[in-house]
Amino acid sequence: MVKAYKQEHVYQHPWERVTAASWRKFADPENTNTLSHILEVDTLNRKLEPESGKLYTTRAITIHAPGPWFVRKMVGQDICHCVESTVVDGQTRSMQLTTRNVSLQKYVEVEEKIRYDPHPDNPSAWTLCRQETSIRIKPLSALASMAEKVEQRCVDKFLQNSAKGREVMERICKYLEAESSGISI
Amino acid sequence: MGILRDKRTSPSPSPTSTSPCADLKTAYNNCFNRWYAEKFVKGQWQKEECVVEWEKYRECLSKHLKDKQLSRFLEVEASRIPLPADRINRKSSVDGASMGDTGAM
Repeated sequence: MVKAYKQEHVYQHPWERVTAASWRKFADPENTNTLSHILEVDTLNRKLEPESGKLYTTRAITIHAPGPWFVRKMVGQDICHCVESTVVDGQTRSMQLTTRNVSLQKYVEVEEKIRYDPHPDNPSAWTLCRQETSIRIKPLSALASMAEKVEQRCVDKFLQNSAKGREVMERICKYLEAESSGISI
Repeated sequence: MGILRDKRTSPSPSPTSTSPCADLKTAYNNCFNRWYAEKFVKGQWQKEECVVEWEKYRECLSKHLKDKQLSRFLEVEASRIPLPADRINRKSSVDGASMGDTGAM
């Protein structure tokens, strides 16, 4: 059983600003209320390729995902650890983030891919965000029908959280816009 | 720098504030965000910056890997996440050894 869905969003901000906002999304303490499911984000590794302008980063993300009581009973925890790997290509102006869960893999595999590219219609001012999420519940024969419910809840939760994520991104972009116009005046 | 205009008088304890590396993390993140927005996106990626902040933060993190159950991340990162071949074979002088080699685990 795999559930996959795609979402697109256009930010009316340039790629440089949107990707800068993406780095701040989980890190700014101002957002912890909106993104209360994000408990902790740590950078595990980073690498810059000076000749190609590529930046590789790996971050650990701890998510609070309480779910229904039977899920807690089943998996014995309500915290999920994920690894996010990011590649930013400064030359072609693209940012790709891939996030996978590390814990609870026995039960569920979630992979979320997000790409930020300059919008083809207005590459210097707009940014196209494409997001693909796939959620796969491991087939546990006895738990199959329950697993399906869990899967749907996962999807619902992810959709809710990505809407919140966009809200935070828009807010940071506005803030960065104000900041940059303040500096350049 | 406040993104929200209304400042809460008694902010709820942020989960990151309990982390022993919180201050070093904030210092690194601030440095990184500045470098990213002011240099990297403008094509100035020839020089790695925030090296001191990164080293301090990473050293703290590797000491606390066990508390934070982060050691699993590194195993998974090594085994699952496909890396470009040149990233595996080449070690940056700044990046140094991967965190798994620091002896903290």
